[in-house]
Amino acid sequence: MSSTVYVDRGSSIHRLNPVTKLVAMLCIIVIVFALPVWWVSGLVLAVAIIPAAVVSRCGRKLSRISATILLPILVVLFVVQGLTFPGGKTALISWGVFTVTSEGLHFALGIGLRLVCLVLASVLLVLTTHPGDLMSALTARGMSPKFGYIISSTLQLIPAFRDRANAILLAQQARGLSVRGSPLRRIKIMMPLLGPLILGMFTDVEDRSTAMEARGFGSTARRTSLVPVPDSSVQRVSRWAMPMVSLAVIVVPFATGAL
Amino acid sequence: MTGMHLRFEDVHYRYPAGVEAIRGVSLAIEPGERVAIVGQNGAGKTTLVRHLNGIFKPTAGTVHVGDWLTTDHDIAELAARVGYVFQNPDEQLFARSVQADVEFGPRNLGVVPEETTRRAEQALATVGLVEQKNAHPHHLSLSERKRVALAGVLAMHTPIVVLDEPTTGQDAAGIDMVGKVMDTLAADGRTVIVITHDMDFCAEHFPRVVVMTNGQIQADGDARTVFGLAQTLAEAAVEPPQLIRLSQRLGWGYSPLNTAEFVEYCARRRSERVG
Amino acid sequence: MIRLDGVSYAYPDTVRPVLENVSLDIGRGTIAGILGASGAGKTTLAKIIAGFIPHVDGGELSGTVSVEGQGMGDLQLAEAVSRVGLVIQNPFNQISGARYTVREEIAFGLENFGVARPEMQDRVGEVADLLNLGPLLDRSPYELSGGQQQLVAIASMIVLRTPVLVMDEPTSQLDPAGTRMVFDVLSTLRGAGITVVIFEHKLELLHQHADVLYVLADRSIVAAGDPTDILADAHLAEWHIGSTRYTRVARAAQKRGLLAGLRHLPVSLEQAVAVFADDGGAR
Repeated sequence: MSSTVYVDRGSSIHRLNPVTKLVAMLCIIVIVFALPVWWVSGLVLAVAIIPAAVVSRCGRKLSRISATILLPILVVLFVVQGLTFPGGKTALISWGVFTVTSEGLHFALGIGLRLVCLVLASVLLVLTTHPGDLMSALTARGMSPKFGYIISSTLQLIPAFRDRANAILLAQQARGLSVRGSPLRRIKIMMPLLGPLILGMFTDVEDRSTAMEARGFGSTARRTSLVPVPDSSVQRVSRWAMPMVSLAVIVVPFATGAL
Repeated sequence: MTGMHLRFEDVHYRYPAGVEAIRGVSLAIEPGERVAIVGQNGAGKTTLVRHLNGIFKPTAGTVHVGDWLTTDHDIAELAARVGYVFQNPDEQLFARSVQADVEFGPRNLGVVPEETTRRAEQALATVGLVEQKNAHPHHLSLSERKRVALAGVLAMHTPIVVLDEPTTGQDAAGIDMVGKVMDTLAADGRTVIVITHDMDFCAEHFPRVVVMTNGQIQADGDARTVFGLAQTLAEAAVEPPQLIRLSQRLGWGYSPLNTAEFVEYCARRRSERVG
Repeated sequence: MIRLDGVSYAYPDTVRPVLENVSLDIGRGTIAGILGASGAGKTTLAKIIAGFIPHVDGGELSGTVSVEGQGMGDLQLAEAVSRVGLVIQNPFNQISGARYTVREEIAFGLENFGVARPEMQDRVGEVADLLNLGPLLDRSPYELSGGQQQLVAIASMIVLRTPVLVMDEPTSQLDPAGTRMVFDVLSTLRGAGITVVIFEHKLELLHQHADVLYVLADRSIVAAGDPTDILADAHLAEWHIGSTRYTRVARAAQKRGLLAGLRHLPVSLEQAVAVFADDGGAR
């Protein structure tokens, strides 16, 4: 059972300070959403995300995970916006009452590419960064350990939840419950499980918080970390530079009236 | 409940991650037998017995439950023949009341409602939880939850019952109760297979003992013989039951499995000496 | 060292107390075993000694609880836990969920208390050796078996070197070899002056390792003293504690008139050997 999607490929991207990667990801997201033109997203994809993905050697897993997240959204987006975009005038294809407009497609492309950037950048961060390392790095920077714990334990609890659900489903089958049939039937079988599962998780959380406190989680001492977080002066500088550059990229076009 | 043979034939099982947990196990169990499987953590005990209800299918070799080959049937079908009590009750209990949880199994097996209720009540009486039948399983103690899980399988009336560590988390009264359930099952002619670390419990209720190490069977035979194999047991990190250790220290050359046998033998020795 | 005087406790929103008038006095560097049937209030007592009650769970606590002369009620929880370590019953829930390798999991408490990295590494290595966890250090704590998780849970408390260690059924998931290893480690810790309070059902091992035993029944401590005396106590059955097979056969033999003149029931293998050896018995 794997509790994270992190894959250790030992690339230079993996070895970056997690905060550097986090800052880069946030900058990318801010830029693509602040500048509402499709080619900005395209450019970011071409010069930042895709090269990073190649260097990280996680390309295949990145595309698989991102595709599962993005495909349904993109399909809906293009169908709905392509057909029903309110400002749509230029008809491309007409089929009965449905008309695909070029404005609609254009709009869908703009939103779609931004979503692609958002998802790819975040998944890449998760694939190349051990969540534990990210939390240590952030805590070392003064983030509240409680906040860090909420994030990292949630990441861990999702697979724990899944495993518990699987175990219960297995036990139900062992008592004669047939899971054959349509996916809808499976979902129907899973539904009654949710209540006890969530209740069980609550009991666990209470118990776990006792165990956490017993290990000094509420201590006010300045925390140390067993595993050192990698860093370099280049990264320290770039963590400041990236937001500055992003800000400039966003503000300058507006100021100069280019947009 | 007619008898049913169980047969493992040169079973191997390799986990998807690559670890070979079962490495060539052959084992035949007759209808109505009581068999304890013992060995260290990680010896492959749970993996082996999970083949009986189809949770695992052998990577090589075959497992027969009666006239069924486990590879031909899914877990739900095998459940009609093999009742399985999991080690962790929290992975097994999910209904809103104890009674409803115990009724779950028989209902799935197509037992009519009145009969289901009757069976559930009977099973709860067997494990001493009649008063808790309307309680939510989450509000019970670990020992009680384990007994609910046991009742849930008893109510299915399967010819074969498999129990993974039924005595852990139980106090003395709970262990005695589980022991009584084992004896009742045996009296009904049902086959009982248990995984346990509690050798005293094992000696008192299970005439046949299988010792596993490293995914293989190291010893298999009647309890008296197996518990006498000092070398094998040491290699498997299994400590013989207290009474057998005592008889060995006394140099008796006889392995008593329970209090009655011990006292009986002790009395006989003494009367022979006196006489 | 650990003193409880007239401690009574009821959980919030309940009338019936779980514990009534409990008193304990456990000296430094001892292993104290506490026996009790399921539902006798063991987990509650463990949380009281460790300061979690009333700090976290609330409820009505009366009487005094002190460790090394310091009242636990007067301490902040963070201070209390640096004096008394608590190993909870379910090892799965003792895994923090915040760390991704066994090594980091064991170090988690040390990180919270701000222990310097080199010392942390030493201490984690040391406790991993003690409990045979070396080969697991780089694995994810969630990939381990129940028994392995239990060892990690124990390691993660021992590593903190609290003067007192309270353990709630710490060997429930372990096989006999693992159980023995844990008890041996506890004996080592006792040698280093650490006081251990252990809630456990395994009577033979308790007899071998504990210096003193307490019986928790009917919401209070009903017996306390030397392990041999406690385990031979005729009331154990009433309290649903059971007894070792050595005691059981001796009692049965006595009933058959085989051990006339026997004054002390045996509770351990050695004692039973002495009682039943042909030259030592009543012949």
